[in-house]
This record gives sequence, structure tokens and C-alpha cells, in this order.
Amino acid sequence: MLTAIAVAGLLVVLLPLLALLTRVPWQNLFTELSSESSINALKVSVTSSLLAATIALVLGVPLAWYLARGPKRVTRIVRPVVISPLVLPPTVAGLALLTLMGRNGLIGKLIYEQTNWAMPFTWTAVVFAGVFVGMPFLVLVVESAFRQVPVEVEETAQTLGANPNKVFWRISVPLARGGITSGLVLAWARALGEFGATLTFAGSMPGVTRTLPMEVYNAFEVDPQAAYSISALLVLVAITVVYLLKSKLIQAFAG
Amino acid sequence: MKTKLIAALVSTLALTGCGTSNNAGASAAPTQATTVTVYAASSLTKTFTELGKEFEAANPGTKVVFSFGASSTLAEQITAGAPADVFASASKKSMDAVAAEIPESKVFASNRVVVGYPVEKALTAVTDLNSATIKWIQCDHQVPCGAAADAALKAEGIAGVPISLEPDVKSVATKLKAGEVDAAIIYITDVIAAGSEFAALEFSDQAKATTKYPIGVSIKASSAAQRFVDFVLSPSGQKVLSAAGFGGAK
Repeated sequence: MLTAIAVAGLLVVLLPLLALLTRVPWQNLFTELSSESSINALKVSVTSSLLAATIALVLGVPLAWYLARGPKRVTRIVRPVVISPLVLPPTVAGLALLTLMGRNGLIGKLIYEQTNWAMPFTWTAVVFAGVFVGMPFLVLVVESAFRQVPVEVEETAQTLGANPNKVFWRISVPLARGGITSGLVLAWARALGEFGATLTFAGSMPGVTRTLPMEVYNAFEVDPQAAYSISALLVLVAITVVYLLKSKLIQAFAG
Repeated sequence: MKTKLIAALVSTLALTGCGTSNNAGASAAPTQATTVTVYAASSLTKTFTELGKEFEAANPGTKVVFSFGASSTLAEQITAGAPADVFASASKKSMDAVAAEIPESKVFASNRVVVGYPVEKALTAVTDLNSATIKWIQCDHQVPCGAAADAALKAEGIAGVPISLEPDVKSVATKLKAGEVDAAIIYITDVIAAGSEFAALEFSDQAKATTKYPIGVSIKASSAAQRFVDFVLSPSGQKVLSAAGFGGAK
């Protein structure tokens, strides 16, 4: 009985992916992926997601450190807020970004009035959206990794004269590097796959803000072959990422 | 093959028989609710919601549910088997794409794209779209409002490019209303719906900017679906459409 349910569960995930793969024009895969619109979307996606992952790394690791070692009464409140974009509907995320950075946004209005520049519909907006949705993954995984670093090791280093900064860089970060790598890859993959927030906040302009997921959505009506080809690429990336990470993500959620 | 055909005939007869007995008992028993699922172009969101309410009021026991989106997207969904009883498209092209499911259609309204802008922006001519300081958006090329925009812009000789090609007209109108852009190519009905804070500039080639809206019933739909279409085409349905700024069926 249990096995039957397990198999049913597997099929729910497996069958749609297999069905998708049956439509992929394997012989023309390279031609489809090297069309001008695909290449444009690929460029936007790769550059923006890499930068988003880098920013998420720079900002997210110290944040994760604080969540792991900071006072409980603060982290208890901060953690759900930081992680929330993970479960937020992407369109809501897009609206949130727009209300902050749009021409009439809290910060965006000031910038627009001073410089006549607004973030929506720019490549920067794609990056911002990527950081917003991707960083929670990194924080979640890295916090869990920091928690697995024995406090005694850090304390010993401190008694031997290392200041907290040095402890962080020389002890905690090296010991948590596996988690940091996983978090970085997950944040990148999440930024790469973002659709709703990007569409709401950054629009969809070929070569500027139109990412691979948006190209799939668009091509499905115009050129299904291209849509299936890009989908195949994204499925491949997704499976590779998860395979490389093995159970790091699950550990983080459990930890 | 033969047995299958007979089986199909028998079940059809059984269904018909069942239907008849239901109808006979309809006066005594409470009427069973019928649902009409209408797939309609984004630009019809406001008017069709209103028409749906009027139709329900005039036809107790019939419920109308809507799915609004870009006509090209809806057509794609219908081809893939989406349960649409009625399809109201913003272009002939998207209606033609579902000819297998909806072989017949009738034009029930027309609309035209314009350059919508917030009044404080004080645009003076359509050619303002060529200016680099004017940030504007339109629908994507395959969406009816985008196709009309492309044609009208070309006729006008506009070389400027939008900063985004949006998936449907609702998305374009929303971003204009949110103040995120200086102008947007949307339907005149959207500008009217946006209120007095927004104004419109007309394209000189009105024919190119105009799109006709066909409506049709799925071959699988019940008679209630046809009644909804008849209502849209009726004088009271047309009144709601023309109040919103839509052109007539001709």
C-alpha cells in the first residue's frame, strides 16, 4: 500500500517532466537554442542570475551568520521575514518590489525625482528580483551550515585571542563552506527560474529584461519548438543542480 | 468500431432521455444550476463581468464564470482542451486558431488602440513616442493589442521602441495606471475605464489601429452558452459595450 502511494507520488512529478521531454525537438535542439531570441534570453538570464547570486552571497552569508548566532528574541522575528519570499507568490513579490522601487515607490520616487531614472523595466530590476527571491534559499541553507559549526571551536579561537571578525572568516566560514556553496547554487537556480516577480517588476523586453522563463511563456504561443527546447535546457539545469546538492536542502529544512 | 458506435448512440440516447425527463420535472423540482464558462480577451474584463451579472439576473439558475487573458493565450489553452463554452477573442486570428473547437463565430464589437498617457505628461502627438525621454510599453506582438499596435505604429512611421512587451493589455494598463510609464499603447476602452486622469492620442490610420472581436460557442457547449452569446449580441448587451467605448458589431 505504502509503496503504491510512493509510486503515485513519484509519477506526479516524473510524468509531466517525461511528457515535456517527448515534445523536445532533439535534432534541432541546438538550432532552436541558438536562435536570436533564445540567445538574447539566455544572455539576460545568465548575467542577471549570476549577479543576483553574487549579491545574495555577499549580503546573505552575514545575515545567515546573525540568524545562527544572534540573540533568539530577535532572530525569532527576523527569520520568518527573511525566508518569506521563498513561499510568497511571485506576483506578490513583484508588487512589493514595485511599491518600493517604482516611480511612485517609497524609495523609487525619491530616485526618480532626483535623477529621472526608475528601476522598473531595467536589467537592474531583473537582478533585484533575483536577489529578493533567491537570497532566502541561501540564508536558509547557510544558517543551517553555521549551526553545525561547534560553538566550542569558535569560543576556543576567541580565548586564543582571535577577534569575532577573525573567528568568522577563519573558523566559521571555512567550516560552513559546503553549505555556502549549496546556498549559492540554490539562490542562483531560483533567480534563474524567476518569472512572476520579474514580469511584474521588470516587464519583458527582448535583450533587456526578457529571461529564459519569460521566453518560454512567450514562445509557447509563437514558436512552441523553441519553448520546448528552452524548457529542456531548464529541466536539465534543475536536475543537475539538485543532483549536485544531494540532500543539503533537505538538511537545511530539517535543521 | 461498430460496437463503439452503437455504444455511443445508446449513451447519447440515454443522455437525451435523461435530459427530457429532467426538463419535464423542472417546473416542480428546483432547477439545476448550469454553468457557462466564458474565455474572454483581457480588454473585456470589465464589460463582460458586468454582462455576466446581467445575464445571470435574466437567467436564474445559470451561472457565468470567466477566464480573462490574452486572446492568443486563451486560444492556446482552448486548443489544449481547456473547458471553454464560449470564446470572445480580440482578433480574428486567435478565433481562427480554435476553428476545430469553435467552427462559427460572429463579430460583436470593435476596439482601437490609442496612445494612453497620464494627463500631467501632456503628450502632444503620437510621434512623441520617438522621444528617448518618453518611456512607453505595449502588448507583445502575438497578442491582438500588440498586433494592432505594431500595425498602427508602422503606419505612423514610429521608429521608437517600447521598454516592455507585456503579456496582455491588462498588464499594460495596470502599469500605466501605476504611473510606472509615460505612455502605453492600449485600447480606447482601457483609457476610458482608467478615468479622467488619463487621456488618449489617436493614430492617424484608424483602420490599422482597429481590431474586431468575434465570439463563438464551443461544439461541446450546452444551449445556455448560445444564450449568453445571443445576450452579448442583443441590444441590451451592445448597450453595455458601447457605454464602455467599444465600437459596434459592424
